[in-house]
Amino acid sequence: MNGRFRNTMLVLGLGFLYIPILSMVVFSFNNSRLVTVWDAANSPTLKWYAALLDNAQILGAARLSIEIAAATATGAVVLGTLAGLALARFGPFRGRAFLSAMTTAPLVMPEVITGLSILLLFVALEQAIGWPDGRGFLTITLAHITFCLAYVTVVVQSRLAGFDDSLEEAALDLGARPATVFWRITLPLILPAIVSGWLLAFTLSWDDVVISQFVAGPSASTLPMVVFSKVRLGVSPDINALASLMVLIVAVCVVCSTLWMRRRERQRQREEQMARAAGG
Amino acid sequence: MINVPVRAAAAVLIAFTLAACSGKPAADKSAEATANAPEEKVLNVYNWSDYIEPGVIAAFTKETGIKVNYDVFDSNEMLETKLLAGNTGYDLVVPSGSFLYRQIKAGVHSTLDKSQLSNLGNADPAIAGRVAKAFDTDNAHSVNYMWGTSGVGYNVKKIKERMPNAPVDSFAMFYDPKIVSKFADCGVMLLDAPSEVLGTVLIYLGKDANSEKPEDLAAAEKVLLSVRKYIRNFNSSAYIEALANGEACLALGWSGDVLQAKSRAESAKNGVEISYNVPKEGAVMFFDQLAIPKDAKHPKNAHLFINYLLRADVAAKNSNFIQYANGNAASKSMIDASVTGNPNVYPSEAMMQKLVPDLPESPEFNRLLTRSWTRVKTGQ
Repeated sequence: MNGRFRNTMLVLGLGFLYIPILSMVVFSFNNSRLVTVWDAANSPTLKWYAALLDNAQILGAARLSIEIAAATATGAVVLGTLAGLALARFGPFRGRAFLSAMTTAPLVMPEVITGLSILLLFVALEQAIGWPDGRGFLTITLAHITFCLAYVTVVVQSRLAGFDDSLEEAALDLGARPATVFWRITLPLILPAIVSGWLLAFTLSWDDVVISQFVAGPSASTLPMVVFSKVRLGVSPDINALASLMVLIVAVCVVCSTLWMRRRERQRQREEQMARAAGG
Repeated sequence: MINVPVRAAAAVLIAFTLAACSGKPAADKSAEATANAPEEKVLNVYNWSDYIEPGVIAAFTKETGIKVNYDVFDSNEMLETKLLAGNTGYDLVVPSGSFLYRQIKAGVHSTLDKSQLSNLGNADPAIAGRVAKAFDTDNAHSVNYMWGTSGVGYNVKKIKERMPNAPVDSFAMFYDPKIVSKFADCGVMLLDAPSEVLGTVLIYLGKDANSEKPEDLAAAEKVLLSVRKYIRNFNSSAYIEALANGEACLALGWSGDVLQAKSRAESAKNGVEISYNVPKEGAVMFFDQLAIPKDAKHPKNAHLFINYLLRADVAAKNSNFIQYANGNAASKSMIDASVTGNPNVYPSEAMMQKLVPDLPESPEFNRLLTRSWTRVKTGQ
């Protein structure tokens, strides 16, 4: 393959992915209320950023979304890591196929079905045992954990499948208890997978709208729900401003986490080599 | 985007609730038991997005000390799904007429305590009468909030360029292939609301808008298929933005939404002039109704809020802001003349006679309609 072809494809591919986002950022500085009209005389302006800071509804929804996403990611990572460990390390135990199928089912389940079934479950539970009392933060988080769990499990499981379990065996041979092996050997090794699982769950929860809509209660509207219901009358440009800020934050986070993971990966390889050299 | 699956979910829930609706007396009793206890100063409202004057809620809180949690939805289907699942946590919801009818049948809404609604006298008897006849017998469960029509929204300049003598006050704009074909290049949009659009076609054909005869449906489908290739898409919300920025020049839309497109284009000063007409053949009318779910935890506060919305000055504020006609006769003198004087928002008496509500259809007809609608949308 020649270099020019490759470069053209790269530019086209990147353009396809990023031009829509760039245009949104550009239009967040547009003075006109209409998205398609570029008001050249008065642009660029920061007025939509100012309007955004005044919009208590959107800011409140954004804060709620961040809290839900963080709680979801943490919960899903704990459960997903346990499930991933069980599937990758515990051999062919009884019910393994069942567990494997059940944890990954939400990957292929239509969101409407997941949302509706969880809603019905919550309503039935409330009638039967009085919990959860009403719907809101807690129910949205639980519902999000349900579908994010599958993604974390898959990520952790494939990471575990990809590394040499002789490291764990060596630790066991040297007298470490299984719990110590987990905390000192396994966990540090799969940490990159856990971090990316956490980020993945955070993102999935952050932009979910269908499931949230089903299980949300009074005064618990997440940001995507607010944006989506505003679309009825056309998105106002302060949403562009908000989205631009989010793109900025996400970009910073992604760059940091990539750098961190790359450094860790190199360190791990170095350590493995040293261990091999010492052992050989 | 999510409407179709949500619609399906709502249908499942309706079947479910209708089958089980007699099995819920326990919940009703507990609601009655708490009816006399003082309520905490909270009210949970679930309304359409951008459907209230922003200052109204703050003013209500200031007057009563009741904190309002105001959430919004963007489709009747979503509201219905939540209502039928039960325990929504909402004290006041705003379904449209035919949805309200089904929800009342499923036992979702409580009867209003009219002794708590001292401002009910402001309500327009003509509107309340129509609602009582079509959806809510004796207005026992609901009070009208806003009403409107679906009609012709158009870009004045673009239509004139293409057809100087276009019949902009007629459904022929959409349903006569010879006419609509002239506007295909500048963007024609129809609502994605099967029973309402069917109603408009039937009116155009001179038939009863709520006819459930299979041959009328077939005739309407034939009309829609004959103009299908000139219609850019079917959508119930995107046309506001599309009209305002000139991407579409003709839309079958809801009155207030088209007028919001008009004011949006005016404030953008992009040279787009939008106008709305109630077709001379008559039109389909919709009603958005305030109702209190049976399992509401704060029914007294909900009554207080309905009563507040019924105040003439408050209703006028809302109508001025969202540009829909309200069902409040006393407020009419306080609404801007640009709204009340617009015969396309407040139609003349003769026109009112030609407006028909979009009645709920039977499940059998609904199936036929859905199938026919799919054929129209896919153009087969």
